[in-house]
Amino acid sequence: MTGNRSRVALSVEDLRVHYHTERGAIRAVEGVSFDLLAGERLGLVGESGSGKTTTAMALMRLIRPPGRIESGRAQLGDLELLSLSDEQMRQARFAHISLIPQGVMNSLNPVMRVGAQIADTIQAHEQGPGGEKMRARVSDLLSLVELDPDTAQMYPHELSGGMKQRVGMAISVALRPQVIIADEPTSALDVVVQKRVMDTLFRVQGELDAAVILVGHDMGLMAQCVDRLGVMYAGRLVELGPVQQLLEQPLHPYTRLLVSSLPSLDRRGEFRGIPGLPPSLLDPPAGCPFHPRCPEAIDGCTTKIPGLTTVVADDDSARIERRAACHLHTGVTS
Amino acid sequence: MSASLLEARRVRMEFGGGLFERQRLVAVQGASLQLPADRPVVVAIAGESGSGKTTLARLLLGMIPPTSGSILYQGTELKQLDRSGYQVFRRQVQAVFQDPFGVFNPFYRVDHSLELPVSKFFPELTRDQRRERIEEGLRAVGLRAEETLGRYPHQLSGGQRQRIMVTRALLLDPKVIVADEPVSMVDASLRATILESLFRIHRERNISLVYITHDLTTAYQLSHTILIMYRGDVVEVGDVEQVIKAPRHPYTQLLVRSIPLADTKRRWGEDPDGEPAPSQGGAGPETTEQALSIANGTGGCPFADRCPHVMASCQQTNPSLVLTDPGRAAACHLYEEAPALSAEQIATLSHGGTEGT
Repeated sequence: MTGNRSRVALSVEDLRVHYHTERGAIRAVEGVSFDLLAGERLGLVGESGSGKTTTAMALMRLIRPPGRIESGRAQLGDLELLSLSDEQMRQARFAHISLIPQGVMNSLNPVMRVGAQIADTIQAHEQGPGGEKMRARVSDLLSLVELDPDTAQMYPHELSGGMKQRVGMAISVALRPQVIIADEPTSALDVVVQKRVMDTLFRVQGELDAAVILVGHDMGLMAQCVDRLGVMYAGRLVELGPVQQLLEQPLHPYTRLLVSSLPSLDRRGEFRGIPGLPPSLLDPPAGCPFHPRCPEAIDGCTTKIPGLTTVVADDDSARIERRAACHLHTGVTS
Repeated sequence: MSASLLEARRVRMEFGGGLFERQRLVAVQGASLQLPADRPVVVAIAGESGSGKTTLARLLLGMIPPTSGSILYQGTELKQLDRSGYQVFRRQVQAVFQDPFGVFNPFYRVDHSLELPVSKFFPELTRDQRRERIEEGLRAVGLRAEETLGRYPHQLSGGQRQRIMVTRALLLDPKVIVADEPVSMVDASLRATILESLFRIHRERNISLVYITHDLTTAYQLSHTILIMYRGDVVEVGDVEQVIKAPRHPYTQLLVRSIPLADTKRRWGEDPDGEPAPSQGGAGPETTEQALSIANGTGGCPFADRCPHVMASCQQTNPSLVLTDPGRAAACHLYEEAPALSAEQIATLSHGGTEGT
């Protein structure tokens, strides 16, 4: 499906991650496949428990027991991330694929100067650079994320939330990865700061010529930030497509209800929640995981799990392809 | 002026100034707000973290006494209420907090959180009557008793827990519910459901709501009037339609532009009507905590360091709220010719009552 103009940066195939508990396996990610195109911004949106963060962590190979990657492939250039040894993966992190974790602002070491923490990351991957050379690199990185190079001398408590978030970003991109995964990078920030941190992230992305996976639950943020959006529900990718079409004409009933539940500045005193609750991942319903809440469920929905199929295709470009995992959409319409 | 149910009159709240702090933090500076007694209203208090919105909520709930100014319930200052009067206040003004995970005792079934307030405030009810009251309360927020009662908090979702907190507040027949970020920790698909249950109890049970939030879109959706707070000051107050659709204060303008709307036709950073932002809008230094507390002490406008329209007067005096339009006031030197307002007039604007002139 790789078109001429759509070089693939990262190809994820049939990713499955389960958490093994005493009560059985929790199917956190169940057969997720998608291609991240070079230079694009792909959003992964979903509610808590939909598997979006687990997907991100699996691509970084940071799943801890009782979690386990059951199957799947993640091809990044010559590397198949899921089959690398632990040491190979350690080297690939930051250098090829990097994560800006949720709450990165709270992950900084409080008793270490910011500059030293950035230098630490570089030293863990590269032998040698020290002294003046390292200082120059750290200050370049700080300017890249739009911080004053003097910030290097400061401790995390001297910085605001937005500034700490930028430091986290500087650490993540210190080794110029091709793929940056940002997991809710601004969810703890105020709305005004949020926009500026995202602007910085995308400028850095441009500078590095990297592709970004933006993980989150905020549809508004996704609408304003990404090129393509994947919607996750109960561990599965249920819809994938260009963000504008996805929001304007959602294919999957879940996407449609989710979009119409969003508050807008056009309607007052009108609320459209989605009735029901997300299913248990321990004992998911038979068939489509959304069928108990779906207003359009048909006979097959209760028995057969719909796969993610192409609904709108274009041979030239994967960028405009639309896919949905729903029995209402089987077959290609263009 | 009409009789008020719950009112904040020029309340100021300072924190710190103790042994280790060099300076005091003014969390709320002379805020006035009123809920009328004759009709239920929904008032939103919006602002970023550190704006003082939660402090104002805690003042309204009587959880902390103001440094100066007063909180009045049905015309009587809280600190002058007698024991039974205070009991009535505590029953009729209820709170719903942000975190649906932290407010439950994990060792008790959720029934406990619902039964305790009922038996405390309505000791005359029989066991069956209490049960009926609880089930009715659960229905009002769209929960079924058989799916919630008898369970432990960890067996319920965040959305269910938050609705149980709304139920708990409802059980006491309140006149006011102060909801502090009730949906910020709840998933998108359930957010609308919770806001809807709040809105419904406002409509059906004539309960006034004070909705504290950082999210202007849900504030717009739910409320009639809104107060925008910035670093302790109320910078704009009035009819929600006017404030959100045509903000007057440069800070409100910045906030409205910064909302990431789920609409790809509206670019982030533009006004909702498509006007591009002024070139410096939103620029200015990202403040460190230190800068924040320093700005707190200077006499100027707290927004002066970030404001694209900053003038000399902004550095010298902090503007007070003036009536920029019928039904709305803003605290900004750009509108100096507009008529000044008394605390009473501001309080009236806060619930959209008669125009403040």
